[in-house]
Amino acid sequence: MATRNRTLIFRKYRDALKSVRVPTSSSPSTSSVGGVGGGGPVIELASTSLLNPNRKYAPLSTEDPGAFTVGLPPAWVDVSEEIAANVQRARMKMVELAKAHAKALMPSFGDGKEDQRTIEGLTQEITGLLRKSEKQLKRLAAAGPSEDSNVRKNVQRSLATDLQNLSMELRKKQSTYLKRLRQQNEGQDGDDLEMNLNGGRSIIDDDNLDDMVFNEHQMAKLKKSEAFTVEREREIQQASKCSWPFVVESVNELAQIMKDLSVLVIDQGTIVDRIDYNIQNVATTVEEGLKQLQKAERTQKRGGMVMCATVLVIMCAVMLILLILKTILF
Amino acid sequence: MVLVSAARDYVNRMLQDISGMKVLILDSQTVSIVSVVYSQSELLQKEVFLVELVDSISKSKESMSHLKAVYFLRPTLENIQHLRRQLANPRFGESHLFFSNMLKDTQIHILADSDEQEVVQQVQEYYADFVAIDPYHFTLNIPSNHMYMLPAVVDPPGLQQFCDRIVDGISTVFLALKRRPVIRYQRTSDIAKRIAQETSKLMYQQESGLFDFRRTEISPLLLIVDRRDDPVTPLLNQWTYQAMVHELIGIHDNKVDLSSTGKLPKDQQEVVLSSEQDAFFKANMYENFGDIGMSIKRMVDDFQQVAKSNQNIQTIEDMAKFVDSYPEYRKMHGNVSKHVTLVTEMSKIVGERRLMLISEREQDLACNGGQVAAFEAVTNLLNNESVSDIDRLHLVMLYALRYEKESPVQLMQLFNKLASQSPKYKPGLVQFLLKQAGVDKRTGDLYGNRDLLNIARNMARGLKGVENVYTQHQPLLFQTMESIIKGRLRDVDYPFVGNHFQQGRPQDVVIFIVGGTTYEESRSVALQNASNSGTRFILGGSVVLNSKRFLKDLEEAQRIAKYSTNVV
Repeated sequence: MATRNRTLIFRKYRDALKSVRVPTSSSPSTSSVGGVGGGGPVIELASTSLLNPNRKYAPLSTEDPGAFTVGLPPAWVDVSEEIAANVQRARMKMVELAKAHAKALMPSFGDGKEDQRTIEGLTQEITGLLRKSEKQLKRLAAAGPSEDSNVRKNVQRSLATDLQNLSMELRKKQSTYLKRLRQQNEGQDGDDLEMNLNGGRSIIDDDNLDDMVFNEHQMAKLKKSEAFTVEREREIQQASKCSWPFVVESVNELAQIMKDLSVLVIDQGTIVDRIDYNIQNVATTVEEGLKQLQKAERTQKRGGMVMCATVLVIMCAVMLILLILKTILF
Repeated sequence: MVLVSAARDYVNRMLQDISGMKVLILDSQTVSIVSVVYSQSELLQKEVFLVELVDSISKSKESMSHLKAVYFLRPTLENIQHLRRQLANPRFGESHLFFSNMLKDTQIHILADSDEQEVVQQVQEYYADFVAIDPYHFTLNIPSNHMYMLPAVVDPPGLQQFCDRIVDGISTVFLALKRRPVIRYQRTSDIAKRIAQETSKLMYQQESGLFDFRRTEISPLLLIVDRRDDPVTPLLNQWTYQAMVHELIGIHDNKVDLSSTGKLPKDQQEVVLSSEQDAFFKANMYENFGDIGMSIKRMVDDFQQVAKSNQNIQTIEDMAKFVDSYPEYRKMHGNVSKHVTLVTEMSKIVGERRLMLISEREQDLACNGGQVAAFEAVTNLLNNESVSDIDRLHLVMLYALRYEKESPVQLMQLFNKLASQSPKYKPGLVQFLLKQAGVDKRTGDLYGNRDLLNIARNMARGLKGVENVYTQHQPLLFQTMESIIKGRLRDVDYPFVGNHFQQGRPQDVVIFIVGGTTYEESRSVALQNASNSGTRFILGGSVVLNSKRFLKDLEEAQRIAKYSTNVV
């Protein structure tokens, strides 16, 4: 793929022309580039190109020392950065969770309760982070038609996609973990039983167990494996009982999050995912938004409720005064 | 994949080295170029949070210095002016300028002069100046396409602009492929010759340094032909999916606008039909209408099964599974409704315009012989009330193109009948077509009746019978491609430019049709490429034609020609 870099020629011309130009640059050109978020505009000229390592969501002004900073970014950028940081944190916790899952699934001597607790704790943390991020995402929504609102909408969309992907990943991990846990326990019981009964006769159903002729040794083994099975069953039930409602709750939460997010996330391959469609639509929706906003303002001002409330309050005050006068005079 | 991946690579490279929040500024042409290969969600992943057009962004006064501006524009006069204004009053933190074609030194000078604030960090030329609608098919979306039919004296600057745009587009295709081709053109077409010579001058003399790539044994071939050599293909009704949608409804930059068909839910009014993003479309775009019906029915059945299982939510596990698979379900739902809507709409049009009957006649006129029978058939259809005006025009044109020289009396009768029946018909249009693309002007053997071999082949085909009457037509391009593969493209008909010469058979061929391509031809190219013959073809045109556009260009050219003869 061929390209051609014209930057050197451009810079050469620019420098040559700069020296030729009369230095009337005392007029503050800052007036036309004041930052939106207020604060003193700072201009630092630089001729180094910016090839920073790829950092996610890094706003221009706060980072690079030799950078061209003009004004501060608006406040909502901080919100988006917070959400991004939360997403990053959630991602790291997911990695930990995966490790904890793997450890819990490994056959071990201990009770496994420790592992359960860490898993629960991690899952709750992650769900909490996702929920918080989703709430903050709503704050990013802008009021009023402007170019800035488009940027905010797009930032919202991008973060919503990330959140949705994370939620789905979490769901998948949870379900595979539970499935494997159940498989493992069933498998263990099956193995134990088989192992013990192979020593005796062929497998017969429970009704006939009493009729079977076992010697004492095998009876003891059988009883032990039964007890073990019962114990495991109880454990599964307990684990399911305490994690089942939790799983239900977490499924509910995640379903809610996904429903909210799916409004924001773009479906790939549809017309909404086309750049030219979005450019066209920006113009129309911005106008629509302005109209709606004006209408809302008007209805609110004319609000009947407000009138009623004021009238009632005035009446109350009048009655109160009359009451006081009555007690004083009489 | 070649063209699409080249364009995508360019866009990726533009965005990847620049960190932070970005705004992408395009002009009306580069919007098409980028939209067909890159999606909005991919832009968001690259932290591009705003996309604007360069002319509308000048009007806004907001300053957004926390964004970095990435400009991707064509190096035209208007764009340079816009840039001047924006650089003089910069709204964004930094500016990175990328141009889709070669800049002149004067343009760089102007830009450097206006960059007093020194916001520009880089100026690069990234050669993506073509709209890659399919892996082996590109277009240039030139609005003044009718220019190619007019003689040069009518509008020299307009024609120059037309040729320049084509030369720019073709040269960037080769820059993206990093090859320098040997150029051949169609002898009988002046405009093809002109474009071939200008392209050769650009690649071999003016910018020879830029095009000086590593030489392979066999250079690729650039063949420039004229639409008027095959005027039949754009006039025919199509029955393969992509071509049919374009013919009956219209595809522009891989988008289909269904809003005129009325009463559709909001999200189906405009749909995307791209082989890169839609697996069902990719598998079925070259299938004929009957087979598509079957495939869609299968897809709907699959979807119904999935939907039924989704409704049957009894346990929490089912609910969980539903939540997991919801995005997939939604995507499938959207896709199924899109294709069902398209096919329904097309069926409706086929029924209304009696297209099956008409198309059979059209295919006969294009492929089989027999003047008397043809005349009778066309007369019958002209007398038929339910045939629409536009279809009558098609039929007469196809008849005229084929039987131009045989029985002029009957031809005259048809013209008169057409003029009397269709009130909107512009008189003399068919004659104008014959003047432009008549048998004297054509190089290729459009009807296979010029040499004995072709006649024999046609007779054999007639005896054998065809699989499908409606898709029996092969565009002339197919024969051209076969000749190239066999190395038998005649020098007499398609001479080389200057002292170019090619030994052996080329492995990469770019065929550019001045005046526009059709989806039937792109299908032919795709099927040819899939057959692994050792040669890879890429097709390009100034626009993508359907019969409506072809007739519009014809009418426009006729109007201008009449006007200029009146003036002169």
